[in-house]
Amino acid sequence: MTRIMLGSAVLRGTVVGVLAASLMSTSALGAPPVDLSKWSPEYVRSIAGTQEFDTAGDCGKVTPLDYKGRLTFWYQGVFEGDPDLLRQYYKDFFETFRKTYPNIQLEEQALTYNDLLDKFRTALLGNAAPMAVRLQILGGTEFASKGYLQPLKPEDVGYSTEDFWPGAMKAVTWDGVTYGIPTNNETMAFIWNADIFKRAGLDPDKAPATWDDVVKYSKQIHDKLGIAGYGLVARKNAGNTPYRFMPQLWAYGGGVFDEATANPTYKEVELDSPQSKAALQASYDMYVRDKSVPVSALTNQQADNQPLFVAGQLGMMISHPSDYNVMLDLQAKATGTDKEKAQTVIDNMRYGLIPTGPDGKRAVVFGGSNIHILKPEYVEGGKVDEPAAKAIICMWTSPEWSLKMAYAGSNPGNLNGFKTKWMKERLDHIKFLDVTTSMLPYGIPFPALPESPEIMNIIVPDMLQNALTGAMTVDQAADDAAKKVKDLMGGL
Amino acid sequence: MTIVTGKAEARRKSQPGRSGALRNMWEHRADYAYVLPAIAVMLVVIAYPIYYTIELSFYKTPPGLQLRDKTFIGFDNYTTILTSEVFWKVTWNTLIWTFGSTFISFVLGFATALALHRDFVGRGILRAILIIPWVISAVAASYIWKWIYHSDFGIIGAVLVGLGLTDRPPNFIDNVSTVLPALIVVNIWREFPFAMIMMMAGLQTVPDQLLRAAKVDGANAWQRFWHVTFPHLRNVSVVTILLLAVANFNSFIIPWIMTAGGPSNASHIWITHIYELAFGRQRWGVASAYSVLLFLILMMLGYFYVRALSGNERKEGGA
Repeated sequence: MTRIMLGSAVLRGTVVGVLAASLMSTSALGAPPVDLSKWSPEYVRSIAGTQEFDTAGDCGKVTPLDYKGRLTFWYQGVFEGDPDLLRQYYKDFFETFRKTYPNIQLEEQALTYNDLLDKFRTALLGNAAPMAVRLQILGGTEFASKGYLQPLKPEDVGYSTEDFWPGAMKAVTWDGVTYGIPTNNETMAFIWNADIFKRAGLDPDKAPATWDDVVKYSKQIHDKLGIAGYGLVARKNAGNTPYRFMPQLWAYGGGVFDEATANPTYKEVELDSPQSKAALQASYDMYVRDKSVPVSALTNQQADNQPLFVAGQLGMMISHPSDYNVMLDLQAKATGTDKEKAQTVIDNMRYGLIPTGPDGKRAVVFGGSNIHILKPEYVEGGKVDEPAAKAIICMWTSPEWSLKMAYAGSNPGNLNGFKTKWMKERLDHIKFLDVTTSMLPYGIPFPALPESPEIMNIIVPDMLQNALTGAMTVDQAADDAAKKVKDLMGGL
Repeated sequence: MTIVTGKAEARRKSQPGRSGALRNMWEHRADYAYVLPAIAVMLVVIAYPIYYTIELSFYKTPPGLQLRDKTFIGFDNYTTILTSEVFWKVTWNTLIWTFGSTFISFVLGFATALALHRDFVGRGILRAILIIPWVISAVAASYIWKWIYHSDFGIIGAVLVGLGLTDRPPNFIDNVSTVLPALIVVNIWREFPFAMIMMMAGLQTVPDQLLRAAKVDGANAWQRFWHVTFPHLRNVSVVTILLLAVANFNSFIIPWIMTAGGPSNASHIWITHIYELAFGRQRWGVASAYSVLLFLILMMLGYFYVRALSGNERKEGGA
C-alpha cells in the first residue's frame, strides 16, 4: 500500500488558520501536556510512547479500588460500521474495570449513536436515567442547559482541564460551568480509491483539492466507469449526515450560524447565505444534475457506503481511519473473486485532507463524545453513586483508555493519551491515522447550543433532502431550513 | 299497607336504584375482585398515559426546557397542527398508507383464502409458506426489503437491469413519488397472511349444504360466492378490515426503519411524525395533541370494531 505523503501542505495547515486558533487556543487555559502549537504528524510521532501511566493507581486516588457500590451506565457504543478491533477494546475495558473495581456492581448498556439521544431523553422524562452516561459531543449542551447534569470537570477525577482539547471542553461547558469530560475527539479525512481514479483518467495519488473538484471528479468517475463517484450521505436522523455535509458547508464559507469563526456568537442564522447555498448546490449538482453519487444517498448511512467502497463501486468518501480496518474485516468475510476484488480496493485505498472551499478554507467536524454524571432526581431510584461514577469516568478518560477506546477511529480525549506506548503502537498499526490526526486543527465543533441536535439531525438533513428530491429548489430549501432554525431559536 | 302491583314490582326490578346497584355489586363482589388487578393495571398503563397525553396537549413544551417548565396554552397546539402544511401532507400520506395497505391486504388475503379453501395437493405446505411474512419480525423484514429495493444495488434493480428492461435500477425508496407505494407493498406483503387466516377461518363457517343446494338450484360459481359465501363472511370481513386499519394507522416499524419518514417527508405518516416531534424534536405538547387526534380516530375505529363483534354475537345468539 502506498502511503500518501502529505508534504508541506499538512505542516502549514496544522499550525495556521483561524480554525486552529479557535480549537487550540491555550492562552486562557494554561499549558497542556502536549504542545498544541507544534501539532503535526511528525510531532505526534515524536511524543508517542514517551510516558508511562498507571491507570489503576491514578483512579485509586479518586475512588479507592476496594470501594463497594453500584453504577448504572449508558454509553454510545460500537455499531455496525465499526471494526472488530474496536469491539474487542470495549470488551477489554469493561473486563478491566470489573477487575480493578471488583466491588462495584456495574450495569452498563450500549446504545448506537442514532438511538442514544432518543432513549436518554425518554428516560429523563420518567426520572429513569442512568447514573452516568457517555454521549455524543452534540448532546452535552442540550442536557446541561436543561439542568439534568451535575457539574463535572476533569479535576474531579484527577486530571486537569488542560489535559483536554480546548475545543472539546467548549462542548461540555454551559453558562460557564463544566458538565462533563471528553472521552475522545475525532476528525475525519477524505478517502479515495486510486485504482478507480486511474481508470477514470484522474491522478491516482492526488485527492481533489477543492469541493468543486469533488463534483468534477465524481462526474468523471461516473461518466467513464458507470459507478458512483462520491459517497454522499443525506439520511435523516442519522449522525453521519451532518458529519459529511457540514465540512462542505463550512468550506464554502457557509454555516448554520457563525460557528466556523474564531469566536462564534450563534446570533445570526447563515443557512440561507450565498455561501451556504453554494455548498448545497454542489450536492445538488452531484445528485441531481450529474447523477454521479449513489441514488440511495437519501436513505444511506456511512455503513452503507462501506460495502460499496470495498466492492469497487464507489470512488470517494469521507470517514475515519477505522474505515481501513472495516475494509479489512469486510475483505476477511468475502469469498472467491470478491475477496480478490476487495484486496485490490484495500491496496488502492488512499487517505488525504478533506478538500477546501473556493477560498481555500478547509474544515471538518470536530466530533467525539463526552461523559457525564446525572443529578439524582432524574436517576432511577433517585440516587447517584458518585464515587462509582467517578471511578468509571476516571478510567475511561485516562490516557490509557481514552486512547484504547479510540484506537481505530478517533483520538484520545485526554491529550496525555498521545504520549502512551499504545499511541506508538497505534501509529504503526492503524494506517492513515496521521492523516485524520492532521485534520484536527481544521476541526469545528458543532454549535454549543441545546438546539444543535435538532438542527444537525433533522433540519440540515431535511434541507438536503428537500433540494435533492426536487421537493424544493436549492434556494427554497436553504431558505426553508434557515427559517426553521430561526423559529427554533425563537422558541417555536 | 302498601299494595304493590306485579307491573310496578317488575319495573322496580328492571331499573334498580343506587342502593340496588350497590347491592348488585356487593352480591357480585367476588367477580369484581377477580377483575380488579386487571383494572388496576389498565389504569396505570393505559388510563394514566391517556390522561397525561391529553393534559400535555394543552401545554407548550419548548425544546430547550425541561418538561416540568411547560406553560398552559389551551388549544394552541391543536390550532398549530391544523394550520400547518406538514399536517395535511402527513395526513394525506397516512390515509393513502392506511387505506392502500388495508384494502389491498384484505382483497389479496381473501383471494388467497378462497384459493386455499379448495382441496389440492400441497395445500398445507403452501398455506405454511404464505404465513411466513406475517411471522417474520417487522424489523428484519424492513431491513431485507430495504436491500431488495436498494436504489443502486437492490435485487429488483439487478434483475430488471439483467433482463435488459431498464438501464439503471429503478429508484423506489429515494424518490418522493414512489417511496410511499413501495412501503405499502412491503406492508401488504407482511399483512395479507393475517387477512388470509381470518378469511380462511370465516370460510369454515359457510354451510356446505347451502352451497350444494344453490348448485342444485343452478347457481353458477359467482352467484354461489356472492349470494351464499360472501353474506356469511360479512362480519368477519368487517372485523378483519377494522383490525388491519387500526394496525396500519399505528404502523411504525416499516416506514421508520426503511426511510425514517423521508425523503423530504414523503413517507412520513402520523405515527412516525409524532415520534419525530416527540423524541427527535422534543415538542412534547404538539406531539401529544397529534396523539390525542390519532387516539380519537382509533377510538372511532374501535367503536365500529366492537359493534361488528357484538353484531356477530347477536347473530350467533339468534337475536
